[in-house]
Amino acid sequence: MAKKPRKAGSYTSPVFTKRMYFFLIPALAFFLIFWIYPVLQLFYYSVTDFNGINYDFDFVGMKNFVKVLSNGTLSNSLKNTLIYAVVTVLVSNLIGLAIAMILNTKIRLKGLFRTCAYFPALFSAIVVGFIWSYVYMPGSGMIAGLINLFGGDGSAFNPLGNYTTALFAIAAVEIWKGFGTTMIIYLAGLQTVDESLLEAARIDGCTEWQMIRKVKLPLISSTITINVILSVIAGLKAFDYSFIMTNGGPGKSTKTLMFQVYETAFTDMKMGRASAFSVMAFAFIILVTVFMLFFLNRREVEL
Amino acid sequence: METAIKSKGASKRTAKKVLLYAIIILFCIIVISPLVIVFSSSLRTPGNQTSPLQLFMEFSGASYAQAFKNMNYPMELLNSLITTAGSVLCIVVFATLAAYPIGRIKSKMAKFLYYFFISGLIIPSQMVIVPIAQTLNRIGIPNTRFTPMIMFITCSLPFSVFLFSGFMKGVPIEIEESAYMDGATLPRRFATIVFPLLQPAIVSCVITQGLWIWNDYFYPMVFISKKAQYSLPVGMLQFLGDKENPAQWNVLFAACVLCALPLIVVFLALQKQFVNGIAAGAVKG
Repeated sequence: MAKKPRKAGSYTSPVFTKRMYFFLIPALAFFLIFWIYPVLQLFYYSVTDFNGINYDFDFVGMKNFVKVLSNGTLSNSLKNTLIYAVVTVLVSNLIGLAIAMILNTKIRLKGLFRTCAYFPALFSAIVVGFIWSYVYMPGSGMIAGLINLFGGDGSAFNPLGNYTTALFAIAAVEIWKGFGTTMIIYLAGLQTVDESLLEAARIDGCTEWQMIRKVKLPLISSTITINVILSVIAGLKAFDYSFIMTNGGPGKSTKTLMFQVYETAFTDMKMGRASAFSVMAFAFIILVTVFMLFFLNRREVEL
Repeated sequence: METAIKSKGASKRTAKKVLLYAIIILFCIIVISPLVIVFSSSLRTPGNQTSPLQLFMEFSGASYAQAFKNMNYPMELLNSLITTAGSVLCIVVFATLAAYPIGRIKSKMAKFLYYFFISGLIIPSQMVIVPIAQTLNRIGIPNTRFTPMIMFITCSLPFSVFLFSGFMKGVPIEIEESAYMDGATLPRRFATIVFPLLQPAIVSCVITQGLWIWNDYFYPMVFISKKAQYSLPVGMLQFLGDKENPAQWNVLFAACVLCALPLIVVFLALQKQFVNGIAAGAVKG
């Protein structure tokens, strides 16, 4: 029997032995076979002319990479994904935070407002895509109908059919579905803020804006970090609304990285090229993630 | 004089309150209005083609009846229920098991495994779907209604392991130590002490992961080809051609409502758990 209390949780402890690693087996097996191994295979396929079906494929060297870089699909979808991610991250976090702050005051019907704001998050992306196809429909859709009602020309309103607006239109859909979750996380963060600190700031004569800027925001900085990370990851994976609502169009204006990968692999049947594309997209995602973690960590320490 | 100042301050406060209410009410109306229109149109007969903006002008179940039939609703509902419940059950078991050593053992190995699992979060499904399909093929797993579950479990592991490892710190080591003194084995300690004390995290995991699995259409779309095996979201894909055809809207909207209905019912019944569960996953983890 141990006389001296051992350092709790140390791996030399007889309570928590290395035998515990056996508990990892099911999760690790799934993770390695169905997630990590397929990623590694991408690197292999990226230097072949594999079409996804016929295993009799050849080694083609860097041809796929050269092709993807030279025909402009990578730069186009990279640009679209970045715009989409920046817009959705900024807007859904700003709206989410603003609504959370309003709901965190002494306001009646708080529960009802919260439910309303969160409600769109319950719907499947496919249902959301259908609903918003109706909302955006030129001539007879919801927004066009409202324009008609107020004497405008609703048939001229076609956000999904326009090169410059289509990407922002589908980003708005993502924001509509996603900001409720962001808001709930901010609300939970705001509720951890100690009321006495706010009281002290009030006595010191803080204005409402100073209170938000200098007291509340620094106190919920870890919540901001987690929300930004979650929405950046979601933004970089953008696929659903390009796939359901615009099919990448008009032209190439809503082709995101993941839409382009899917289209190259399934429509064009060029798995080798899609893999080369994926490898580069993956490198980009890792780069953004590392940069973001580095930046956000530093900011959190500063505050 | 004094009352004048006071009432001025009070009226300023009232004005601010009114402004806040105005903002939030207007905002909620904007957010919810597409859903209200969809619901009102779904209650029309399929042939009614007046503008959907005229709310609740007709109350009929005809569109629902047609959508119900087109979707083969009971079958799809059952498929969705089996897939979601089965996946979530496996995720909770696998992820709590995995988080036990990761959260308890203090070593470089445990730390590495923790980040190894989390790194899976940034991999998008579309990217790896073809190699995954080939891997399944090579192992000899046929395309059935259960195949997407494998991917749901795998994709949920990064977040779930992250969540449970975070909550593991809140399970007191002392209880386990005294159980060890009393001769409890590792599996027994896990099953009788750790697992029950992780309950708030389990609720959070079930809600967040259940929500995306129920709503996901991508994996079922790739892995399922037989109509009888469709889950609700994949069944909705069959309506893809109808979305730009106003003549089909009433039935399409009824299908949308039917697809979302089970989740709406669960949400309204368990609202508090939903809100806490979503927040707990992000704030405490």
